[in-house]
Amino acid sequence: MDSVKAVDYLLALAREHHLPDVDVMLERGESLSVRVFRGRVEKLDQSATLGVGVRVVDQGRTGLAFTERLSESALETVFLAAKENARLMDPTEVVMAPPQNPAGRPEDLELYNPALESLKVEDLTRLALEIEALARQEDPRLAEVTSLGVSRSSGETRVVSTHGLDTTQRANRVGAYCQVLLKQGDFRKSGGHSWSRREWNPAEAAQTGPQAVRRGAALLGAAPLPHGPLAVVLDEHTAPQLLGMFFGAFSGEAAQKGQSPLKGRLGDQIGGKTVTLLDDPHRVGAGGSRWLDPEGIATRPLTLIQNGVFANFLYHVESARREGGLSTGHAGRSLGGGVSTRLHNLVMPLGGETVAQLAAMPTECLLVTDLEGGSGCNGLNGDISIGVQGILYRDGQPVRPVDSVTIAGNFYDLLNHIQGVGNFYQPNLSSLFIPPLLVEGLVAAGE
Amino acid sequence: MLSESTVWDILSLATSRGADFAEVYVEESRHRGVELLDSKIDSVSDGVTFGVGIRVVRGEETFYTHSSDDAPEVLLRLTRDLTVQSAGGGASAPLHPMELTDRHPVRVDPSAVSKQDRVDMLRRLDGFSRREGEGIKQVGAGLTEKKKSLLIANSEGLWVTDTRHYSRLRLGVIAQKDSGPQTAAESPGVLGGYEFFMGLDGQALAEDVSRRAGVMAGAGYIEGGVMPVVLGNGFGGVIFHEACGHPLETEAIRKNSSPFADKMGQMVAGPLLTAVDDGTLANHWGSFNVDDEGMAPQRTVLIENGVLRGFLADRTGASKAGVVRTGSGRRESYKYAPVARMRNTYITAGPHTVEEIIASVDYGLYAKRMGGGSVDPSTGEFNFSVQEGYIIRGGQLAEPVRGATLIGKGAEVLPLISMVGNDLALAAGMCGASSGWVPTTVGQPTLKIDRILVGGR
Repeated sequence: MDSVKAVDYLLALAREHHLPDVDVMLERGESLSVRVFRGRVEKLDQSATLGVGVRVVDQGRTGLAFTERLSESALETVFLAAKENARLMDPTEVVMAPPQNPAGRPEDLELYNPALESLKVEDLTRLALEIEALARQEDPRLAEVTSLGVSRSSGETRVVSTHGLDTTQRANRVGAYCQVLLKQGDFRKSGGHSWSRREWNPAEAAQTGPQAVRRGAALLGAAPLPHGPLAVVLDEHTAPQLLGMFFGAFSGEAAQKGQSPLKGRLGDQIGGKTVTLLDDPHRVGAGGSRWLDPEGIATRPLTLIQNGVFANFLYHVESARREGGLSTGHAGRSLGGGVSTRLHNLVMPLGGETVAQLAAMPTECLLVTDLEGGSGCNGLNGDISIGVQGILYRDGQPVRPVDSVTIAGNFYDLLNHIQGVGNFYQPNLSSLFIPPLLVEGLVAAGE
Repeated sequence: MLSESTVWDILSLATSRGADFAEVYVEESRHRGVELLDSKIDSVSDGVTFGVGIRVVRGEETFYTHSSDDAPEVLLRLTRDLTVQSAGGGASAPLHPMELTDRHPVRVDPSAVSKQDRVDMLRRLDGFSRREGEGIKQVGAGLTEKKKSLLIANSEGLWVTDTRHYSRLRLGVIAQKDSGPQTAAESPGVLGGYEFFMGLDGQALAEDVSRRAGVMAGAGYIEGGVMPVVLGNGFGGVIFHEACGHPLETEAIRKNSSPFADKMGQMVAGPLLTAVDDGTLANHWGSFNVDDEGMAPQRTVLIENGVLRGFLADRTGASKAGVVRTGSGRRESYKYAPVARMRNTYITAGPHTVEEIIASVDYGLYAKRMGGGSVDPSTGEFNFSVQEGYIIRGGQLAEPVRGATLIGKGAEVLPLISMVGNDLALAAGMCGASSGWVPTTVGQPTLKIDRILVGGR
């Protein structure tokens, strides 16, 4: 059965079973990727995926099921499973309602570039080989290009409900990544860079190779720092990476379930007066943009922190109703999962400094260019303890590379110690728009 | 799952168009999940994933495609798209069913147990957890089950089918005291059926997790620095898995990007250290009857008394790295081509008691329970958070500490393991790499590392 008929069939089953609150999510994806190694194509992957998820709400109880088989019997089985699962749930405040009016047309968000669909294996291969060749030319200390791939992908999500919701979101992208290994005597360092856009620009993408090499080369010969307080500049990649680990705290649902330290702190000063943070679902071309969330609620920009004051939690229908309020349009949904809280595009307004200017503000600082994992960062209490690599600056000048060091502190202290904000965002397709930041009050642990 | 004639047509088409090797992988997985949060059943879900992966190897190149549409005409079109008509290749060999011995029996069929039974079990765990711990603020519990049915056939005549049942429980607890909230979690799992849940001592598990959350909620921050670290048994093995196991997979070896690539037969660790990766352990989380490219798994010795003895190899990796296959070809699902991955990886037991190891440290950290972490396989640089840690002072356990992170390089840390405990334990985990997320077991006895950087305040 094709996907359109599958959706109709499931909604017909809802009517047949006298279930007025049912929605169906359909996810379709396609991708083509090429991996090269030492001047040859090593692996070519092409994929097509399709799946259907069903959500049955029965007197506030939600049942879920999904399938990648679209035969009539498979669809009926999945529907009956969702219906049965609803009976096992505890009741909640969830309801389904007719969709709201979106504030714009899908094409206004520029999430889909049809030109990317015409890219062939040959185009991707040519770019991958050029990235590799340029990487090999960049630095004689390059030992190997360990991982290099170019891909294009597209996806479509449609949500249809018994209440008249029928919304489709389509997006695509093209991207490249390059990981290299450099050696200098006994030193080994990796360097990596990636590129992800909605425009095909092979000349710019080819620089992925040299940039990966430069990032690794800058860290050759790195050594630890002594233990003590340290000013840190998080670059355009590591600032969104680090701060992004803590934004789950803005979920109203997390606060209700004791999983957010922001519970009960609306209106409090939680950051410095220069700190403003908002969620902008209408940012053109951004990774998380959408007019309607999967519950059919119209999205709108929402301020989370205004001049350091905590202004709003994010809500979907159920978490909002639990407090007698209205959804802020921040529902997320996956094929196999239920509704959860979802940030769209998190934006911190730009400041005025370049990275070099930020690094020149304190007498000494560490420019962090790599974060090593995130397991030492605890979203529940804001604790940060994470390995970093980067460049030590003194009096505004780079002194030497640094590794084998951790930085420790707390996210909420960090919000109070942002001393400078950069004047640009990292250029890749993303839903996190956090510029480089100069932060004080962290502690380094090294030698 | 797919008819023999359709499989034969795909393999024949691929080889007739120049493939040196072709493979069809068919998977149907039935998933079930039940989640409890805030003392309420938060989610009950069922799902079916189904698809066909087709792999074609020609010379040094691998081509892979997958689809959840199993119509013969679709699969043949995909095969045609994947292969460019060229000379070479050959005919596909006649298909012969491979006889498998089931080493991982299911004693209680999960489909014979009601969903209500699962719901009741989670409610009991919630009750135990809230009753047993100090300052418990939140409990989350869940179970996941998967029945994965496979068919693997290839142009060398392989035809093998298998069914794997996975059962896993997750319990997470938040405790709050003066120094703020802390979490503790445990996620045991097996390659087996519902007997796993029936045999689990839920009260003991809840007691342990709640106690740990309570202790850590009252802990102060550790002051960072270089110090001796005693790594607790069981999940402590995640460090060996990440920092040494991944660099021993042929994905890293064949590119000469692993710190161990040219060290075969050399001392890479102290003589007390022996490490193996064993895919045959009965009903263990990382085991299977046949790997994801149709080879029976093995017990592979990686390091023996400090000497590097083996790598983990899949078909492609073995061929490119010039080593033997070890039955380590693994993939998350039909959406991935297989690569060499770890199975049940652990450091074997040594001669020391835990008390002897602790007593040997004047000042250091006892990392009793590790959290997550990651590694750069090219350099061996790793980082891991400590979920439950205590200061050791004068050979005695002292106060609990929070916020500790271990940082180092695998190849440099191995020779610094100076004591190996006699308390080997294994723990289930999920490992993510280029062929997706696969179930793996990590394990070790208690170990002493003479010096390592501990991040803190």
